Amino acid sequence: MSNVLRPYLAAVRSTLTAALTLENFSSQVVERHNKPEVETRGSKEVLLNPLTISRNENERVLIEPSVNSIRLSIKIKQADEIERILCHQFTRFMMQRAESFIVLRRKPVSGYDISFLITNTHTETMLKHKIVDFIIQFMEEVDKEISEMKLSLNARARIVAESYLTAVSSGF
Amino acid sequence: MDINFRKIDIDVYDEDAIHESEIYEADPRDPGQVLNEAKQKQSGVRALLARNDVAGALKTVLEGAPFGPGADEAKSITLQTLLTILNSTKSTDISGAIKQLTQDDHDTLMKYLYKGMAMPGWGDISGSVLLGWHEKLTEIAGTGCIVRTMTDRRIV
Amino acid sequence: MAPEVSSLAQTPVTAHAFSPDRTQLAASLNSNGVQIFSRSGADWIPSETLSEHDKLITSIDWAPNTNRIVTASQDRNAYVWQETPDLETGKLIWKPTLVVLRINRAATYVRWSPKEDKFAVASGARAICICSFDSENNWWVSKQLKKPIRSTVLSVDWHPNNVLLAAGSADMKARVFSAYIKEVDERPAPSVWGSKLPFNTLCGEYSSPSGGWVHSVGFSPSGDVLAFVSHDSSINVVYPGGPTVYSVRMPTLPLVTLAWLSENSLVAAGHDCQPLVFLGSEGGWQLGGSLDDTSGPKTEAARPMGSSPVVGRLKAGAFATFRDADSRGQSTLGSGSGSSTTDTKLLTLHQNTITSVRPYEHDGVQVTKVSTTGVDGMLVVWDANDVTTGGINTLTGKVGGMQLR
Repeated sequence: MSNVLRPYLAAVRSTLTAALTLENFSSQVVERHNKPEVETRGSKEVLLNPLTISRNENERVLIEPSVNSIRLSIKIKQADEIERILCHQFTRFMMQRAESFIVLRRKPVSGYDISFLITNTHTETMLKHKIVDFIIQFMEEVDKEISEMKLSLNARARIVAESYLTAVSSGF
Repeated sequence: MDINFRKIDIDVYDEDAIHESEIYEADPRDPGQVLNEAKQKQSGVRALLARNDVAGALKTVLEGAPFGPGADEAKSITLQTLLTILNSTKSTDISGAIKQLTQDDHDTLMKYLYKGMAMPGWGDISGSVLLGWHEKLTEIAGTGCIVRTMTDRRIV
Repeated sequence: MAPEVSSLAQTPVTAHAFSPDRTQLAASLNSNGVQIFSRSGADWIPSETLSEHDKLITSIDWAPNTNRIVTASQDRNAYVWQETPDLETGKLIWKPTLVVLRINRAATYVRWSPKEDKFAVASGARAICICSFDSENNWWVSKQLKKPIRSTVLSVDWHPNNVLLAAGSADMKARVFSAYIKEVDERPAPSVWGSKLPFNTLCGEYSSPSGGWVHSVGFSPSGDVLAFVSHDSSINVVYPGGPTVYSVRMPTLPLVTLAWLSENSLVAAGHDCQPLVFLGSEGGWQLGGSLDDTSGPKTEAARPMGSSPVVGRLKAGAFATFRDADSRGQSTLGSGSGSSTTDTKLLTLHQNTITSVRPYEHDGVQVTKVSTTGVDGMLVVWDANDVTTGGINTLTGKVGGMQLR
């Protein structure tokens, strides 16, 4: 698994490093405002080409860079119905607590499961390579987390079924 | 009450605002000519690949690659041609081939790698092949190459 | 000589400017006040705060001969500060003078003209204000350069003749304008940029091959050559005669600021956190080396690409976690061993993007020292002759001058 995952994460890492070249940029559209341009999309020239990194149709990352902010969206691998439910619950849990994650966006970009919004304030207050590490680590962990949850879910179901059926069988 | 007026983007009527067409210089070539060139390259590349000349094939397809709107067919032919090269190259030969390319070719190749990754499942795109090339290209051409893919409005 | 390093703040330094005698420093610490520092030995002690702006200060310039400070801010205003005796105590204090900019977006950059009778304010209102003093009203009035700017102007630089002005903007163009003001300027001598130069004449328009916002522009000491850095990680040097544009594309992250050292060398810095020296002439330009001796692998090389070595244990780990959770009710979820072990410190002196590089010392022939500030809140004074090439060879094997036209 690690050998297949590695080039994918390496590509995300280098693209994210290249995109995280932000500066303080005051809005050209609204007076005295300073907004993430990637969200307002008010001026075309300060947005850069969005880049996608994908392993296959089900696992991809979209990076949308702009002059003062970038948006990174992840589509997490979901092989079956259980993984889909787990992934939905897990990302929902995270996004409801978005403020404790600082760079997390409350709502994913359509077509993706979870989105991050990183602005120039974040790159000023936090070390840039640490933000990159955080995102990469998140991507590593999220797959792991979901497969672990799936395993424990299955195991729990089995044990519940077993103990239930033991009660039934001992009755006879 | 009709509230659709809220959806009108009035900022596009600002006469100072920049327009899409002003962001980059348009391709001076005629779309038909570009399409013909792309088709010719396709056969040229096959011949080069038969001789196992990966770098030569890459150079052929990357030089003067079509860009801008209105060249969609030429673009997909070029991508298709490029994918044949990428898919048929042994992973040990990748670095050597990339090193023979010019800086311009690196930048164009990077654009195509991202274009390919943006449309998984199209044609015979394989994520792991593209990622392999991406890794080698980044090693040689650096993150600057990725930055140029972002800034260059001449989208392939 | 080792670079002089001082940490001004924990916050980003958005702009800095030294007093003419280099004993004082004006800096904006990512806030709406200008902090004046005084040198005390090797340290910089905060002495005074100039507060008139109510939004982030984007740029500061200190006039070397007239000892005036001009500041620009995102609150759409600029002020000229002058040291005047206080009426009651007689102590010298900095007093602001109003500048009538007439712009409705942020002011992004400001520079005094060489004769210090004018200054240029770049703005997000797609205009550059050329300001001159109106003694009748005791304020600075402005005249705007507007056409053909299509986006926020990010930087400006004056030509030594006090008339021409270079501007770099977010519409991916570097331009040279005439900022000739009849009431102030004498008619300039013809130069390589043109001979008849009424206000707002466009003398040249250049862009980098791969586009990208033009972060910084600079005229060479003679004024005959223009350099600009843009967001496609390139530095471009323009000889207007041909016109010939040399473009050096870097394999690293974009540069955002530059300063000329002499007619044949300049220093530029940016998101790679180290000042790089470029050398060249009319025949071509190339990277000369770095001022930062990182003595060791570069930051990118030092960081392991990709993931950590612990991924291999995933399956066993997941099973163990599940077994613990299942049989003993222990949950180790989330405490999974941290991956991507990297060092917290970069190998460069600056720990974050360098946003400003300025000449610090001049020996009459060329600039011998430059000062840099950045997002990490540090001020570093570098010896401009102390160029090392060791650290960058690995990265920039492919950097070379490339002629475009």
